[in-house]
Amino acid sequence: MSEVSKFSRPGVAIIGCGAITAVGRGVDALRAALKTNSSGLKPNARFDSPRFQSSIVGAVPPNDFPSGDPAFHLAVAALGEACDEARNVLSSIPAARIGLVLSTTKANIAALEQLAENEPCSDDARRHLQGYALAVDLAAGQGASGPVQCVSVACVSGLVALQQGAKLILRGDADAVLVVGVDHLSSFVVAGFTALKAIDPNGCRPFDRNRCGLSPGEAGAAIVLVRGDLAPSSAISMLGWGGSNDANHLTGPSRDGSGLALAIRRALNASGLQSPDIGYVNAHGTGTPYNDAMESMALRTVFGEKCPPVSAAKGMLGHTLGAAGVVETIVCILAMEGRFLPGTPRLIEPAEGTPAGLMRDPHVVDCLNVVLKLNTGFGGINGALILGHG
Amino acid sequence: MDKIVIAAASMVGEEDVRMARLGTRFGRLDLASQLALVAVEALGVNFDLLPRELIGICLAARAGSLATDFDFWRGRDNAGGPSPTLFAYTLPSSAIGEIAIRHRLTGPNLCLTGEGSIIPEACDLLRRGEAQACLCVFYNVVTPAIAGLINSPAAALAGAILLRLGGNGVRELGENDRDIEKMCRVLCPKDLAS
Repeated sequence: MSEVSKFSRPGVAIIGCGAITAVGRGVDALRAALKTNSSGLKPNARFDSPRFQSSIVGAVPPNDFPSGDPAFHLAVAALGEACDEARNVLSSIPAARIGLVLSTTKANIAALEQLAENEPCSDDARRHLQGYALAVDLAAGQGASGPVQCVSVACVSGLVALQQGAKLILRGDADAVLVVGVDHLSSFVVAGFTALKAIDPNGCRPFDRNRCGLSPGEAGAAIVLVRGDLAPSSAISMLGWGGSNDANHLTGPSRDGSGLALAIRRALNASGLQSPDIGYVNAHGTGTPYNDAMESMALRTVFGEKCPPVSAAKGMLGHTLGAAGVVETIVCILAMEGRFLPGTPRLIEPAEGTPAGLMRDPHVVDCLNVVLKLNTGFGGINGALILGHG
Repeated sequence: MDKIVIAAASMVGEEDVRMARLGTRFGRLDLASQLALVAVEALGVNFDLLPRELIGICLAARAGSLATDFDFWRGRDNAGGPSPTLFAYTLPSSAIGEIAIRHRLTGPNLCLTGEGSIIPEACDLLRRGEAQACLCVFYNVVTPAIAGLINSPAAALAGAILLRLGGNGVRELGENDRDIEKMCRVLCPKDLAS
């Protein structure tokens, strides 16, 4: 492991997290599920139809948020929790210096479904069809009047939104940025993945030898970023990030993992770290045959035979699209704070070629200083983010 | 520090898409991706002269993919169900993938929807050394079917700007250059109503 002093530099720190997912409302529910390796994937009557490949999804428990305008309510729930945790620091920052970056792929796509069926749809729900309008309303709700952005780069949106938040702080446009990831379960998205034959009828099994697709999920997730000098010394920091494009296929990953490997190397370079410094990798791990095979190859390319422990959360939460990068980064934060390595829910038998460090069950560790978070998405887009203490 | 230079700029509309000859696959793309690809083509850039792994793509999708979303969802009751091909284009960032594939560009990517400005983000990529050149592309596709939904006039246009650190170009990037659509309209005046 490199010197700890390597991580001690001014930068961007994380001081609050919030999440509402298939395993319940609040970060505590997520932490508990991680420690017990539980899965929130369940059959859902809404998708029990021949129109859909499977009814097994990662749905937020129905009583956990109001009906109508689901993207807004999921985001508000997560954002409120994250801002409550960060309140002491946020209250000292002028509103004009607090920005918001929203990560979403479909925003409030429920409104399109409602309008198509001539069902009632509120003006707000209709406005929130557009992610930027949703972002503006979320910022206003928290009294944040700094810069607002809406990032939409497929399933890498969450990691890119975190990067954008960090960049706004590093170039002096804001002192704090509320990064929110949200996407809700919709007939639109489940029908789309059904059309692509990308859903596992039995629920997703990332890195399993019998995996055959993803499970759609929904979540709201939020992370509060602040200028490093405003955060407690114990706060976890964003150490570096990297992005790349496979330039290969619109909906399929590259077969050799070279694009993702390039993104990982860029993140390592940006953070000034070497591959042996990474203590844990939280993989994208959709459960589709090609994605997981590609990811395994990318990890082998970068880490060789010394791959650190690896696991994936989508067997617990489903594929939450625009929320994935944010909520899975919260998984990494909880692991670092709680000193444990998360498992891979629903994994039974690892597929041939998966990394040696693949974790089926969670494990307690003495320390976890540096972690790597990966996401990939349609359009060949890859993202890597490195988090560390200090 | 080197100045950031606008190396090339373009502006295109639906007529340019109809005239484009970009291979058989081009016809399967949604209108937003077609416009974006044609806008990049109109830059006339020889990507062989640039390091492809260090060319970023920043996309501004003002109305997102809502027009394609509407088309996809309208086809849900078709025989055989909704179109898998169209579903791939219900992401505002799909045009990034199409541009990257056509020109084999493996640099970092960003897509902002709504009113966010991609120009400062492209400059950030250049100044941080994450990219040596950055393709900034915007598209705005608002079909009559969705115009009322989002209170926006119908539109179908795209533009592109190639930003580089140093070197020669159309002109230096100015401090007030933030709105890519406005920049493209000024740099490439064109009657897109025709």
